Amino acid sequence: MLAFAEQGMNGLMMGAIYALFALGMVLIYGVMHVLNFSHGVLFMAGAYVCQVIFAQLTGNYFVAILGSMLVLALVGCLLEKGIFQHLRGSLSMQIVASMGLIMIVQNSIIYFFGPLALHMRVETVESKIRLGPLSFTAQHFVIIGVALVAVVSLDLFLRHTRLGTALRATSQNLEAARVVGVNPDSIFLMTFALATALAALAGALLGPLFLISPAMGDLPLLKGLTAIVLGGMGSVPGAIVGGFLIGVLEAQATLVLPTDYRDAVVFAALIGILLFRPYGLFGKRERGEP
Amino acid sequence: MKSMKLLALVAAIILAALIPVLLPDQPYIVNTLTLTLCAIIPAIGLNLLYGQAGLLSLGHMAFTGVGGYTAALLMKNAGWALPEAMLAAAIVAGFAGLLVGIPCLRLRSHFFVIVTLGVGMILYTFFNNLDGITGGAQGLPGVPRPRPLSIGDFTIEFRTPRGFYWLALLTMLGTLFVQWLIARSPFGFSLDAIRQDETMAASRGVDVFAHKLAVFVISSAIAGVGGALSVTFLRVAAPTMFDLHASMNVVAIVLVGGPGYLAGPILGAFIFIALPEFLRVAAEFRLIVFGFVLVFIALFANRGLLGLADSVWSKMKRDRMADEAPGATRTVKSEG
Amino acid sequence: MTRYRSTLAAAFAMAACFGGMPAYAEDVVTIGIISATTGPMAAPGSYQINGFKLAEEDINKAGGVKIGDKTYKVALKIYDSRCNVAEGAAIMERLASVDKVPVALGELCTPVAAAEAPIAQDYKVPLILTVPTADNLTTQGNPYLFRVNAPNAAQNRMIVDFIVEKNLSPVAELTFNNDTGRGAVAGRRAILPETIKSGYIGFYNVGEVDFSSHITNIRNSGAKAIVLGMDEEAGALAIKQIRDAGLDVQLIGTLAMDSDRFLHRLSADHVAGMVQGSAFALTAPGEKARIFTEAYKARFGAETHAFAAQSYDGLMVAIEAMKKAGTVTDGEAIRNALVSVDYKGVTGDLKFDKNNQAAPLFYVTQWCKDGTRKIALPQALAAACSS
Repeated sequence: MLAFAEQGMNGLMMGAIYALFALGMVLIYGVMHVLNFSHGVLFMAGAYVCQVIFAQLTGNYFVAILGSMLVLALVGCLLEKGIFQHLRGSLSMQIVASMGLIMIVQNSIIYFFGPLALHMRVETVESKIRLGPLSFTAQHFVIIGVALVAVVSLDLFLRHTRLGTALRATSQNLEAARVVGVNPDSIFLMTFALATALAALAGALLGPLFLISPAMGDLPLLKGLTAIVLGGMGSVPGAIVGGFLIGVLEAQATLVLPTDYRDAVVFAALIGILLFRPYGLFGKRERGEP
Repeated sequence: MKSMKLLALVAAIILAALIPVLLPDQPYIVNTLTLTLCAIIPAIGLNLLYGQAGLLSLGHMAFTGVGGYTAALLMKNAGWALPEAMLAAAIVAGFAGLLVGIPCLRLRSHFFVIVTLGVGMILYTFFNNLDGITGGAQGLPGVPRPRPLSIGDFTIEFRTPRGFYWLALLTMLGTLFVQWLIARSPFGFSLDAIRQDETMAASRGVDVFAHKLAVFVISSAIAGVGGALSVTFLRVAAPTMFDLHASMNVVAIVLVGGPGYLAGPILGAFIFIALPEFLRVAAEFRLIVFGFVLVFIALFANRGLLGLADSVWSKMKRDRMADEAPGATRTVKSEG
Repeated sequence: MTRYRSTLAAAFAMAACFGGMPAYAEDVVTIGIISATTGPMAAPGSYQINGFKLAEEDINKAGGVKIGDKTYKVALKIYDSRCNVAEGAAIMERLASVDKVPVALGELCTPVAAAEAPIAQDYKVPLILTVPTADNLTTQGNPYLFRVNAPNAAQNRMIVDFIVEKNLSPVAELTFNNDTGRGAVAGRRAILPETIKSGYIGFYNVGEVDFSSHITNIRNSGAKAIVLGMDEEAGALAIKQIRDAGLDVQLIGTLAMDSDRFLHRLSADHVAGMVQGSAFALTAPGEKARIFTEAYKARFGAETHAFAAQSYDGLMVAIEAMKKAGTVTDGEAIRNALVSVDYKGVTGDLKFDKNNQAAPLFYVTQWCKDGTRKIALPQALAAACSS
């Protein structure tokens, strides 16, 4: 029983990472119907930018986080204007463009920074926290806390600001939003910038805790993708629940199944759930879709 | 017009078959072309699935792997010859396609796409972890090449790139022929109808699910043939040959070449396998340059390069017609 | 970043030098190198390439090498296989038929090496592996495949010796789910004596950075020791997480963890008492190892890595064989010379057995409290911590 509780906690931490990751992807998908497979390398680039600002420019971690979010938001704007805006509605070309971006970003990073993982020592809380008979590292709670803050502030933004309302309107019905005076182009641009800034935030936060390396975004991308599909494509609460679900499932599975089948367990669960709910946990059959 | 096309096709096949003879001192080029041929076959399977029926699979290479391991085990441990092993590979991979297709084909659009990615990951996990059967992550070395074939005085030695090139070319043409047959059959027309509008096709009496399942099984079987050929050529079967990256690559081959076009996978595989290999000289930047090429294609050739060529060609034809018949209204083609 | 670029610049400068010295009319022998400069194996690949480069520079600085009656400078032709089977095969084909190298070296991944080896045999170009560890690579009966690094079996033997000596039962594993990791786990389990129970086995996939669920299971399994089959980067993360979780067990690492670079990722407290299998111990007796260590540090600004030492030796062995055979073109003669070569390298005394497998030295080293390392096994070289 204790082992389940412990693994549950471990799972929540990984789940928080996946949810944070899925958040950016689901925003873009929900509003623009674009699946951005290059979200993983943007996350990775965010960590590198943060590292450069921190270690080579300022030495201030908060400035570094903000800086990397800003830089990546700009990159997001460029990507939206230059590439993804033109690919709405063509999933296959979104995949081709994303593959291209992954190659460009990953290999450029290797060229400039070398293949070895970078070090980024931030004096984080390195203490242990006891919960009854269990002890966890502070890292666990930092990650879960950050993910929760990001989720709550995004929710507040979406519900309680004019911009957020416009964004939700665009997501629900593009034509109707246009009629009431929302400019979809600028909403798309903002969505993309917001999503890439979220990716940068995740990268900047996780980089110092784990590794800053060219491949750091590959695995979270897969799990984030699974999370948003599980959640029902385009549903923000769905993506968050999906992310946490995958994290917890993965951790609990190590108690009973060989760990080399961890990824297989996650995807088998995805397929199993979709058999019963073909549009995901929170997904609805959309109008116009067969 | 039709006989011209046929003539060009025959000329192209003859030229392709003559390459090893025309370049006797270039085994490296022949080797790279053989690798390209090995990659074309699974791409033909995917082209059938996506180009014809509109089903995008991100785990296609897993079926290539099922075929590859089947053939490798039969040839290495049971001493089967390549043709029989290849047939077995097609059957087993097709059966795997059936098992996967029955649950997964009920899902639609993005859900189907991501689930195929999951299936690819699951099968990869088995390739990597079943040490006792697949050799695990270390792979299955020592897959034998076919014995030399003697036709009269002429002996084809499959140990050399040249001999194997002919074998690969023949296999590729065989699968291409299958695709051509399907594309012209009533079955193929039904698939086209499903791709264009599923609801409409269903209302016209097409059993959508059965058609999807059939094409999924066929494309998996073709992928299996490609797997058998690859492991024989490389003389090793390894999980990394059939992982997510490989699956994404084959998707890109089909999309870049031109989905639905018979020659699409051929052009795509040239760009994806042969071009980077020949670009090896510019090692440092080749993948970055390649990334820009992909983005460019996504932006300006959304039906692949053959699709682009097609629309340029028909635009030129329209222009010519417009010049010949002044005052004729031009139709503006909308993309996307 | 700067280090990588300066390496690159040096490589270009060197290439330019070779191109721009026709007046000397030096003879150059080109050696083929297969490694990974991109993709998931780029980090270990960089150490491998550094080893080859250092050997090349050492030879050329000494005025080249006399083979037959001519003196040759050495040039490397480095290709990136990205640990991709098809690309590895294409590279081997290219090295043998386009670049026409007399010998090829390198490779990181077992399956890729398995695809390259038959091509090497077809063209009669010896292929000398310097990193892949799978035991079955050298037992395929391929006369043109050689290996200078210790295979899994040899590495496992010594680690199991250590486990038995300290009676660390049960022993848990936390291992990379790739060719090296899986091979090592299977090998160790096969030779663990009955007195040692094999506990929890955790595998992690590429890119996994959080080991907390494994650590929980390891703690609950009551393991006395954890064998960490990981590279440097993941290993440092895992150890930090293990120690932060308050797990006080014997850590047993791989050769990638036997460096000061590894220490700098953590702290002396984290690694104190940890042991690791090592193919190149800094404190190994003999001048060669010390000179190599210093030369590497001077050239690349960091402590060396076992992969670099193995690759350095690999190139030297190839040159030795060419000297012996008196040819820089005849692959078959070079192969025959390799079989009987006896070269004293930085990783030990290198001779090939009937499977063309060398038996370099292998150690178990241990971290002391002050952040230094000492040799724990073999017994003959064992030393105590200085403090």
